Amino acid sequence: MGIRIREQVVAMALGIVLSTATLAAVNVGQPAPGFSGIDTRGQRIALEDYRGQVVVLEWTNHDCPYVRKHYDSGNMQAHQREAAGNGVVWLSVISSAPGKQGHVTAAEADELTAQRGAAPTAVILDPAGHIGRLYGARTTPHMYIIDRDGALAYMGGIDSIVSTDPADIAQATAYTRIALNEVVAGKTVQRAVTRPYGCSVKY
Amino acid sequence: MTFGRVLAALACLLLSVAHGSNSVQTPQVQVSLLAEQPHYTPGQPLWLGLRFDLLPGWHVYWRNPGDSGEAPRIDWRLPDGWQASDIHWPVPHRIPVGHLVNYGYEDSVTLLVELQTTTADAGPRTIVANADWLVCRETCIPQQGLLRLELPDSAAVDAANPRVVSDFSAARGQWPVTLGSRAIYQQVDGTLQLRVDIPAASAGQIEDAWFAAYDWGPVAPSGRQQWSRHADGLRLAIPAGEMPPTGDMPLQGLLVVSERSGDGLLTRGIRLTATPGLLPPDTTGPPGPGIALALAFAFLGGLLLNLMPCVLPVLSIKIVGLVRHADGGAARHGLVFTAGVLSAFAALAAALIALRAAGEAIGWGFQLQEPLVVLGLMYLMLALGLNLSGVFSMGSRLMGLAGQAGSRHDLAGTFASGVLAVVVASPCTAPFMGGALGFALTQPAVMSLGVFLALGLGFATPLLLLSLWPAWLRLLPAPGAWMERLRNVLAFPMYAAAAWLLWVLSQQVTPTVLAAALAGAVLLSFALWWSDLSLHNRRRQRTVASTAAVAGMGIALLATLTQNQADQPSIAQASWSADHVRALQADGRAVFVNFTAAWCITCKVNEQVALDTDRVRAALEHHNIAYLKGDWTRRDPAITAELARHGRSGVPLYLLFPPHTGQPQVLPQFLTEGLVLQAIENI
Repeated sequence: MGIRIREQVVAMALGIVLSTATLAAVNVGQPAPGFSGIDTRGQRIALEDYRGQVVVLEWTNHDCPYVRKHYDSGNMQAHQREAAGNGVVWLSVISSAPGKQGHVTAAEADELTAQRGAAPTAVILDPAGHIGRLYGARTTPHMYIIDRDGALAYMGGIDSIVSTDPADIAQATAYTRIALNEVVAGKTVQRAVTRPYGCSVKY
Repeated sequence: MTFGRVLAALACLLLSVAHGSNSVQTPQVQVSLLAEQPHYTPGQPLWLGLRFDLLPGWHVYWRNPGDSGEAPRIDWRLPDGWQASDIHWPVPHRIPVGHLVNYGYEDSVTLLVELQTTTADAGPRTIVANADWLVCRETCIPQQGLLRLELPDSAAVDAANPRVVSDFSAARGQWPVTLGSRAIYQQVDGTLQLRVDIPAASAGQIEDAWFAAYDWGPVAPSGRQQWSRHADGLRLAIPAGEMPPTGDMPLQGLLVVSERSGDGLLTRGIRLTATPGLLPPDTTGPPGPGIALALAFAFLGGLLLNLMPCVLPVLSIKIVGLVRHADGGAARHGLVFTAGVLSAFAALAAALIALRAAGEAIGWGFQLQEPLVVLGLMYLMLALGLNLSGVFSMGSRLMGLAGQAGSRHDLAGTFASGVLAVVVASPCTAPFMGGALGFALTQPAVMSLGVFLALGLGFATPLLLLSLWPAWLRLLPAPGAWMERLRNVLAFPMYAAAAWLLWVLSQQVTPTVLAAALAGAVLLSFALWWSDLSLHNRRRQRTVASTAAVAGMGIALLATLTQNQADQPSIAQASWSADHVRALQADGRAVFVNFTAAWCITCKVNEQVALDTDRVRAALEHHNIAYLKGDWTRRDPAITAELARHGRSGVPLYLLFPPHTGQPQVLPQFLTEGLVLQAIENI
């Protein structure tokens, strides 16, 4: 009798382990999950449209001090221009919910782009947070690189020093830049997962 | 948060920097740099604290901030040769932000740092801390402050500020402890299975347990963790983070355990370094949530209960009884029987939940810890056995055997037999179901009740099905002499159960009490036989019978009861009693009292890290302080009263009585060695 109850308990434990294993988010080396969203020009943008090109996803929130660190210093814009120069598609994603910090209309987003001299390929508005949840985006900034085959090649921080101080950018290891150069050159990304840092995404 | 407000906050900071104060105030938080002693002693260590007092809703972060955020940083400018330790982080809370989770602190927190001074020093010294912190609610604001402290050397002695000293004590009380527990983890499909050996953890007091890694990577902070008990401690299933440990990398972090005490939840952090290893399948610890499964298995468990030796006879009789009203009344009887079973289980669950809410450390099977209950059940089994043997027939009505289908009286009997079946089942369930039901009791009240009701439903199902489809009953032979023989055979499992209960009783009572219990059994048997004999005779004879029965059981119960009470204040050496404390005080000794219980993890942790240490033992001896233990593992009215006297309804409680007379000092529920040593020094 005791043994039968024990078996039930084991079965119960197994069931729970299996159900938690299915929660996994995106993984480096695996196909990046497909998505489509509306950009600030009102156009539908789908990841599969860019098959064969390298794609960068940048989660952003213009009022977050960690995002400001990289925009006020011109660091993020520099990344975007380098990417454009290499034929890389750069999609900035705003997953702030309406009423939360960083939520903007299409016009406001375009104005921010102009004002800051930013150079993304497109800015995707994701107020419902679908794309953010799909990729497990947690911070602003949070960076993802998808290679030409549509596989996720990098996820993590923009660089290595967790701070809001622009003075740290020069000392930091520029994880995203290094990974992007490796992906563009067709090399294996050495540091494919790093710690993303910043404010929480305001879902 | 607009940029303008951030600028305003920065302006505030700059203002305070200009003043070189030891405190800065922003709209969200006041940050102060404090020294435990108002002076330093050259060559001696000195503790500093960075205290954050936050507005409601705002938080700062732990060393690993979780899904987002940033830990506070302190950049020290110290006198030449002085060294600052890393921050000693208190145990953090989980702070949900949408579906993300941060680790941090709300309301207030003091981060302690130990400074090493040099012997070459003399004269006043200045300490400057350049602190950076991120304070967040929905939004985050990075802030910084330049904090300054002037410290005279010990030549200019000031008394320590008691508020600061108690703040430092409290901060140390929130540090995680090192248990030296063995911890092993195994990575399975994106989940880290972690097993930690904590011997006392098998008791039913833990309400929650979760693990936080020291650094980003191995663990997903927002992942739903499952925890369970196993024979020697805890087992956790932790969703791995984006950079899970590889090879033989250890998993380092905090295990945060909340356990129920009479005064609410006590939360404690345990530092862990888990090494990779193979974990055997989890065989003993019922897992955490999963209510549907828990209910399903409780139902199955209930079905199995029908086969228990003490239950089967009662149920068989009941089923045979159904044959008699297979013509329509059966369904009603089945439903009423089910209602009786469910009521009994609900009553048991309610009693257990209520007792647990009152801080009692009980689990299923607690009833067998009480000799009176064991004795009562033994008499019940004996009586049922005698009834089945045909010694007397009165009880058959209780089992709903006799009478006409549909009569009110008969239905009441059926209900009673449902209740009786549960009562009769309880001694058999305890050894087998103890673990599972103990788990149910650690769940929220609704779930506990649900598990008990599912168990009851499973228990009643076979009989209910038979009563709803009485056609199945026709498979049984027609009523006849075989029924009487079956009854007689089934009496023997009841005698066996009675014998087992007597054996249980013999472990709990003295031979004299056991003799009284046996005498009671003989008298009870006699009384039941006599009452049957006299059933159709004169009333006086029946009175004789009941008097004999009552007297017999009365003697035994009384004997058990008195022995039980005499047992309570078991006077072992160095065990607590109020008189003992007074006597020791009268001898001019101070007395340290530790109220503890075997099932209280906080107590065990305190004993290991702060009481049972060489330094504390030496200090107690040096000051000639007596050390008494009050063990509340089993309920003890004297200890309960003493706890209440100090405003507590549960253990741990630590009291330090001064020599001669006077009220004790009450120490915090979380002890550190330093805190205990300090209290001893101050006696």
